Amino acid sequence: MTTHVLMELSVLEAAHLTDLVQQFADLMDESTGADALDDPAVARLVPDAYQDDADAAGEFRRLTQGDLLDRRRTDAARVLASLERDGVPLRVAEIDRADAESALVIELDADGTSAWLRTLTAVRLVLATRLGVTTDDDHDDRDPRFGVYNWLGFRLEGLLEALEG
Amino acid sequence: MTIPLEDIDLAASVAASEPWQAVVWNDPVNLMSYVTHVFRTHFGYSRERAEQLMLAVHHRGHAVVAEGARELMEMHVQAMHDYGLWATVRKGGE
Repeated sequence: MTTHVLMELSVLEAAHLTDLVQQFADLMDESTGADALDDPAVARLVPDAYQDDADAAGEFRRLTQGDLLDRRRTDAARVLASLERDGVPLRVAEIDRADAESALVIELDADGTSAWLRTLTAVRLVLATRLGVTTDDDHDDRDPRFGVYNWLGFRLEGLLEALEG
Repeated sequence: MTIPLEDIDLAASVAASEPWQAVVWNDPVNLMSYVTHVFRTHFGYSRERAEQLMLAVHHRGHAVVAEGARELMEMHVQAMHDYGLWATVRKGGE
């Protein structure tokens, strides 16, 4: 497997992704208290490790939940940094039409690629919860609400193919 | 990312002879190619073995991806959660 990946996005695409990952990072920053798991999207990121043993599941959670959510934050921060152009975050509202389709090439090392894979996955998990996806049949490719979700899946698939290549 | 040493009861883990299992469950979100990638990356499984396990998860709803000491299975499950997969620990033979 390759570990070094070059990814090309349009500037507009990168700006939308920046917005989305920033929203995810904000959600993670809000998810620190005891009530964090009241949000099912956050709960999906730290599932019960024991199905029939609430005590063991609670103990596992006590030991791992903080680390897992911290990783979501550091991964997201890393992705956001790699999406910057000349050190400046791209904002959808600030991009003019001529610039929108120009290419942004992102170079990722092994750790950066891993952070991207995990973050795209985590954002998809959150979106899926918001969209009410609980079975394979809940996902309709033609439903416009799934546009962003599908696009993230497309980018994730592309990264995986680049790694295999 | 690792469970603090003081929380692992070494004596108990030696005494427990029955194997535990790390189980990955099917979910409607994670891409098949991603699940395969995770099994290859984390466990070091061959592409063939990783794809077999991924297909078992997809078609049968779950698959045992590792067996061994309970603490080790917990580390694997934590790693699976870190990748966004839905995984649990259970006693072997279930």
